[in-house]
Amino acid sequence: MADVSTETGDPGENSLAAAADRVLDNLAELEPELVGAAIFGPEGERIAVKADSERWPSVAAELLAALEAGSGDEDLDSAHVARADGEVFVVKESGLSLVAVTGRFVLASLTSYDMRMALRDLGRGKTTGRAENGGD
Amino acid sequence: MLKPHRVVLEKVSSYTEEAAAFMRRRRHHRREFVRIRFRSGAEADLPVGTPEADRIAEAAGRLIELG
Repeated sequence: MADVSTETGDPGENSLAAAADRVLDNLAELEPELVGAAIFGPEGERIAVKADSERWPSVAAELLAALEAGSGDEDLDSAHVARADGEVFVVKESGLSLVAVTGRFVLASLTSYDMRMALRDLGRGKTTGRAENGGD
Repeated sequence: MLKPHRVVLEKVSSYTEEAAAFMRRRRHHRREFVRIRFRSGAEADLPVGTPEADRIAEAAGRLIELG
């Protein structure tokens, strides 16, 4: 799983991107079946990506848009899409969205929980400048 | 004591039951779905074949393919 760089010129954004990067590393350690993952901001902007393909973030953004459209008037909290050869999880928390692809037959509730905790941690770090499992 | 043909019949039927259960499990595991949970606490399985579910499943499939 490669790291697709998201660095910008803004130091605040860079520190958030670095913390998000570490959060994704921790998530990958917790989830051995994790294939790729990305964190997006409130406006759908890419914050951190761990995936082999350059196209991964844009397709993940398409999926997020499709899920928002599919939610209608309701506020999307999370989603789980199962396909024959893998599963996709989406969790929204603290204004951030985490999209993750895993192998088939992972424990869905555990994966969603880990993703939510990762985002919560990053969200806390966003306000305090420090993420417990992702920040320094 | 059971008659010999009964023993054979029971063995065969237990094997077929096992095979049927295996097929049921496999069908269930291979099932594809799109499940959405909302902030309200509600949860919905989008019916396969609807445009919304197809769009989501198609994007998810491409994401899985990219790895």
